[in-house]
Amino acid sequence: MAAAIETKQLTKSYKSRAAGNINVVDNLDLHVEEGEIFGFLGPNGAGKTTTIKMLLGIIYPTSGEGFVLGKEIGDMAVHRLISYLPERPYYYEHMTGLELLKFYGSLFGIYDEAKYRALLEKVNLHRDMTKTISQYSKGMQQRVGLAQSLLNDPKLLFLDEPTGGLDPIAHREIRDLILSFRDEGRTVFISSHELSEVELICDRVAIINKGIIERQGKLTELLHGGRIEITVGGVDEAFLKGLNIPDSNIRGLPVGVLMDMPEEQDPNGIIDAVRNRKGTVISVVPRRKRLEDLFVETVTNPALGGKPSVPPAVAEEIVK
Amino acid sequence: MRQILSIATTTVGEAIRRRVLLIILLIGVLFLVVAPGLGVLSARSETVVLRGMMLGIIQLTSAVIAIVLTVYMIPNEIERRTIYTILSKPVQRWQFLIGKYLGAVFSLGLMMALMTAVLVFVFWLQASDQSLAAVGAMVKAPTMYFVQMSLLAAVAIFFSTFVAPLVNFFLTGGMYLLGSLFNPFFQTLQENQGTHPVTKAFAGIVNTILPNFANYNVQNPIINPTQVIQNESRYYLEVTFYGLFYIGILLVAGILIFDRREV
Repeated sequence: MAAAIETKQLTKSYKSRAAGNINVVDNLDLHVEEGEIFGFLGPNGAGKTTTIKMLLGIIYPTSGEGFVLGKEIGDMAVHRLISYLPERPYYYEHMTGLELLKFYGSLFGIYDEAKYRALLEKVNLHRDMTKTISQYSKGMQQRVGLAQSLLNDPKLLFLDEPTGGLDPIAHREIRDLILSFRDEGRTVFISSHELSEVELICDRVAIINKGIIERQGKLTELLHGGRIEITVGGVDEAFLKGLNIPDSNIRGLPVGVLMDMPEEQDPNGIIDAVRNRKGTVISVVPRRKRLEDLFVETVTNPALGGKPSVPPAVAEEIVK
Repeated sequence: MRQILSIATTTVGEAIRRRVLLIILLIGVLFLVVAPGLGVLSARSETVVLRGMMLGIIQLTSAVIAIVLTVYMIPNEIERRTIYTILSKPVQRWQFLIGKYLGAVFSLGLMMALMTAVLVFVFWLQASDQSLAAVGAMVKAPTMYFVQMSLLAAVAIFFSTFVAPLVNFFLTGGMYLLGSLFNPFFQTLQENQGTHPVTKAFAGIVNTILPNFANYNVQNPIINPTQVIQNESRYYLEVTFYGLFYIGILLVAGILIFDRREV
């Protein structure tokens, strides 16, 4: 599959009087495939927004190279095919939702009133299109932002914290919209702190910390390493130990015996063995590794990338 | 071109709703309306004082509006992140800057047109000579002020590409004062035969760098009909082209800086 975004050692440095040259983004190698929803995660100040701004050509890289939809970053032809929803967007408050779309549409040379109305309907703002932006709630502003980002029928959308600060209903609406973008064949690049959200919708993720990509890959592969907990009755601990399941833990419970083992192990063999021994299977619970665990592990583990990262308490706070 | 026009139109829409500008404009209009009442305090001919006062009010109000309108224009777009959604569309930075500038000039034009309309109306009510020629003559000065304010807006837009609004406020205000008060002085120094060559060269440099805002202070012949500008139409055309040339240089310099700036 073709790459929607490809960066090679993309670096952005700023000069600081106190610390000299600071690499806000450090030798970033990013690969986003066309048609996928890609989650770009990291704690505050990790370099997420700087990366997006470089990919959009708003700020210039210090070194390295980047390609968006096959063209070098900054190429104006690409700007016709991409769109951007910034974090906590602000729009001209005197405009109505419809006028806002007219304004952004005119920047593309799109003067199609029916299209504006259809987009506002898509984001469920068709009944509020004549209200001014100043009368819109935060969620409505986010939705009108998504509508403006669809004006040019983009192949690639950059969404910076698209659900930040929204209530659960607005969250769900935005999430459904993002999922619909994938169904329409668009590539979505999301920068977010909302890990549960990302876990639900993203195909692949990258975790950036202090400007360095610490992890990148398919969610299914990154979250590999979960465990399965099997609680059984009518057999003792020695019986389960005798099954010799590698990397397993067995302990007694008031209701029976609990065995937890890597998710790669087939639980059916154990279930059959217990049943043959006239025992009962009380429960089988897969304990999947969550993105939150991976994120905290990544940003707090000094071994990854060789840098001590934000304190665990801070990382936990970010996850919350 | 459509991008520039869209940005300019939006800028006008925003500017005419900015409360601070509307308050300044309202104060200016109020002073214009009460000016005839203040004229009686002067011992000089009422009409002369009234003309001078009203043109002065328009010039001062326009200068304050021009500075307040433009110094915050680019920094506000960056601070509110509206610039990101615009620059992520097929809009070049130069188009954005020119669009903002034209929007500022259109807004200034609208506000100055309103003040000029009030000026003409009040003057028409007060003046003994209510002929169209007499009233029309009053409009010449605000027209030249408009070129002056467009130049002032270009100075502010240029500085706004690399300095903070507060610094820009003082820099642009300072340039306006220097260009209005001292440029004629440097021009005289440059042209005077008896000036030392070094002083002459220095005066020449300052006179060239500093925009000559004094060119547009054409109120004297309007206030006092005994004074005349030789070859008036030609003078107006020359100073208008001077202004446009200077505006062009300032915008090109601003674009070159803004194009490299991290936003």
